[in-house]
Amino acid sequence: MPSAQNLVDKFNDLKTLPHVAIKLTQMVGSETSTMQDFEQVIKLDPVLVVRLLRLVNSPYFGLSSQVESIAKAVVFIGMKHLRSLVAVEALRNLFKEKTDGEVFSRKNLWIHSATVAILGQMITRRIFGQDGEDVFLAGIIHDIGLIVEDQLAGDDLRKVCAEYLVNGHEDSITGIEDSLIGTNHAKVGRLLATEWHLPETVIEAIRFHHRYDKEFPLPSVIGILQLAEFMACKMNYGVVSGRCDPLPAYLNGHVKSKMADYKVLLKALPEEMAKAKELYDAEPEK
Amino acid sequence: MDKLINDVFAELADGDEDLRDLHGVLEEILPEASLALYGDNGAVVGASLPGLSAAMLDECRGRATETEICGSFRLAGAGWLHAIRLQDYKAVLVFTQEELTEDLAGNRHLAALYHNSIRLALLRCLHQEAIIENKQLSRRMEVVSSKHAQLLDDNHRQFLLIQEKEKEYAKKLESEIASQTKQLRDTNARLEAASRLKSEFLANMSHELRTPMNAIIGFSGLLLETPLTGEQKEFAETISKASSSLLVLINDILDLAKIEAGKLELDLHPFKVEGLVKSVEAMFRSQALAKENRLSYQFDPDLNASLIGDENRLRQILVNLVGNAMKFTSKGEVVIKASKAKEEEKTVSLLFAVSDTGIGIPADRQKAVFEKFTQADGSTTRKYGGTGLGLSITSQLVSLMDGRIELVSAPGMGSTFSFVISFAKAAGKEEGAPPVVHGAVMPVRADYGSDKALTNEQPSTSGADFKVLVVEDNLVNQRLATLLLKKAGYEVDVADDGLKGLLMLKEQRYDLVLMDVQMPNMDGHTATRKVRELEASAQKDEYASLAGRAAPLCIVGLTAHARKEDEQQCYDAGMNDFLTKPIIKDKLVSLIDRIRFPKI
Repeated sequence: MPSAQNLVDKFNDLKTLPHVAIKLTQMVGSETSTMQDFEQVIKLDPVLVVRLLRLVNSPYFGLSSQVESIAKAVVFIGMKHLRSLVAVEALRNLFKEKTDGEVFSRKNLWIHSATVAILGQMITRRIFGQDGEDVFLAGIIHDIGLIVEDQLAGDDLRKVCAEYLVNGHEDSITGIEDSLIGTNHAKVGRLLATEWHLPETVIEAIRFHHRYDKEFPLPSVIGILQLAEFMACKMNYGVVSGRCDPLPAYLNGHVKSKMADYKVLLKALPEEMAKAKELYDAEPEK
Repeated sequence: MDKLINDVFAELADGDEDLRDLHGVLEEILPEASLALYGDNGAVVGASLPGLSAAMLDECRGRATETEICGSFRLAGAGWLHAIRLQDYKAVLVFTQEELTEDLAGNRHLAALYHNSIRLALLRCLHQEAIIENKQLSRRMEVVSSKHAQLLDDNHRQFLLIQEKEKEYAKKLESEIASQTKQLRDTNARLEAASRLKSEFLANMSHELRTPMNAIIGFSGLLLETPLTGEQKEFAETISKASSSLLVLINDILDLAKIEAGKLELDLHPFKVEGLVKSVEAMFRSQALAKENRLSYQFDPDLNASLIGDENRLRQILVNLVGNAMKFTSKGEVVIKASKAKEEEKTVSLLFAVSDTGIGIPADRQKAVFEKFTQADGSTTRKYGGTGLGLSITSQLVSLMDGRIELVSAPGMGSTFSFVISFAKAAGKEEGAPPVVHGAVMPVRADYGSDKALTNEQPSTSGADFKVLVVEDNLVNQRLATLLLKKAGYEVDVADDGLKGLLMLKEQRYDLVLMDVQMPNMDGHTATRKVRELEASAQKDEYASLAGRAAPLCIVGLTAHARKEDEQQCYDAGMNDFLTKPIIKDKLVSLIDRIRFPKI
């Protein structure tokens, strides 16, 4: 059975993730990179430029003036945010490939990831009054390991999903992956995120997002990610439709104490999702 | 979707929370009343009220209208029980109050009071939600504003970074430009040096060329004066013509080299423009006849004042222009014009123009004709001959005189070359004012012939009483000079170098010395200085050629260099005049005539 590293190596050989996304992620971490540097890298992919500008100008950002260049986008929304959008665009294509199945489809996984990202950012902003940029990135990217598994062990992954759905036992999906595939999407995702030099908090969130036995004090990226994941699944935007893992016990108290807050948040959700349609639409209009 | 959203926290949520909240608010507003909320799901919030029948409750639940009083019921004891349907809460509110002892339906004001109190309670609950929404909004605003601040910081940092990068770039650019400028300067200096070397080389080459030219021109001329067959005469004439034009070419090249090396200096003398123009016209008269051209000159009559300028170079310019016009015109007309363009107190500007009715020059070639080795059309080179140096030299000479040559021409319509040059007016109007070379007074030639033995009133071609000593090391030149002089009727002796020359001056009496400059043992300058020293000393009488002379012995330098400094060196050494080699017969004879008959 392959190790997580085996899968990641093979996956990298396929060069599925655009070079641009990786390069940009490194640049965000650098103190000396300028918006021009950013623009020059993104310009290498003209399609990406068009899509990014569409996203930046979408209602999600609600900017008052039209942004018509990447450099200006950096000025208006910041490099970090733009990096997340590049991740969105890069992954959108990844999630599109391969035919859909019943228990598992990349399309569903994409909508799941986008929903978790948007919910996570809403929670961070509305409940904790923080930016939530890392939560958004973690949401978009947390299940990248599933794509790797689908690419390299698609049949096994489908077996995992079926088992997870039918069995209904206490095991989380990662446990079933470990036994059927030999590794799980949290491990694989963590390795990839490390290679891509994503922020530590994002790597941690990917690594632990299926660990329900640990407690992650709020507002941590992982804590909010788990909460958002639970909420998305309850709204039928789970990875495998038909089963949701329960909310990790440590989050119960928080949700109960802020129930009124969450009700207000949930009330605002449909509108926010509509605004973010450009983000999670699997097939953006040409 | 809405249902799903509402049920997200169904497991966690306390289903009766809303009812409890409402109950709390109602108790606050109506502290006197006993209240109970009966949820549709069976939950009861508040102390259950005695006397409420299940049938009453069901009846009230059946009413779907919002906040409607659905009934008041008289209780067994005193008092009434009132029930109100709360559709939003899916519950029925039942309450009683001790003081309230009548049917609400019968007392409108009381009913309105209760109605409003309950509405207030409901609004308060909604208000709670609005407060939370407001709180979330303000958190989001905080996020936006902190993000805004961060973006400002980021953008400022970016601005500084970019500024720094731009500065670096500018610095790099500057140093690059500096190094390139230096490179260009160095290259330029190298090129200038190379050009100077080339010009010097050319000047030296012309010198080397002149020596053999001397022999060719001289001897072909002499050959023509011997009895020859028709064919021989024709050959000799061809040699003579060809070598003459070769000499012109060499002079042109030398001029150009001098101009480019910046070594050409103007030789300013008083002269008269009219004489100059006339002499140029005269020069081309025969050529005009041969080509059936009408040659004429137009001259402002008030231009007869004496001006100061380089007459020879001005002549060269006009000769070049007229020669050029002649070359490209046949059966047409060539006109030389000189007119006053502007006159001031001390200067006068003259406009010179040479027009022809020849083939003309197309507009796109008009600039090129002033470039070296270029003619208007490559094909004309073959047809009309020439090196293409003439106009280049002409235009540079005009520039040297602070003028600018202009050309008006069209193919088939002829050409007009014109230029304006400003001259200083000569101080005295008298002719023969002493010539001035760069402020230095030239040796006075009028003294040459004050030798009593030579003071003949009449010019004479016979020179039997005139003895010439040729001091020259080159055998060919010795022979040429001897032959030329003998032909002219003079007695000639030859000395191989300056030393021998001095000895011969001691032995015999000579009237003229032709002194080569470059010679072994003693060169011409040294020999001349020696003569001038002897003339000033007591030894003077020991020399046959010097004794008893009122004026110094006439010494004429022979030099292959036609450069100004060579000329000056000859004068500095004490020579009276000089001739450039190759020796041209006419020039030699006229020089000797001038020496013998200075008044003419």
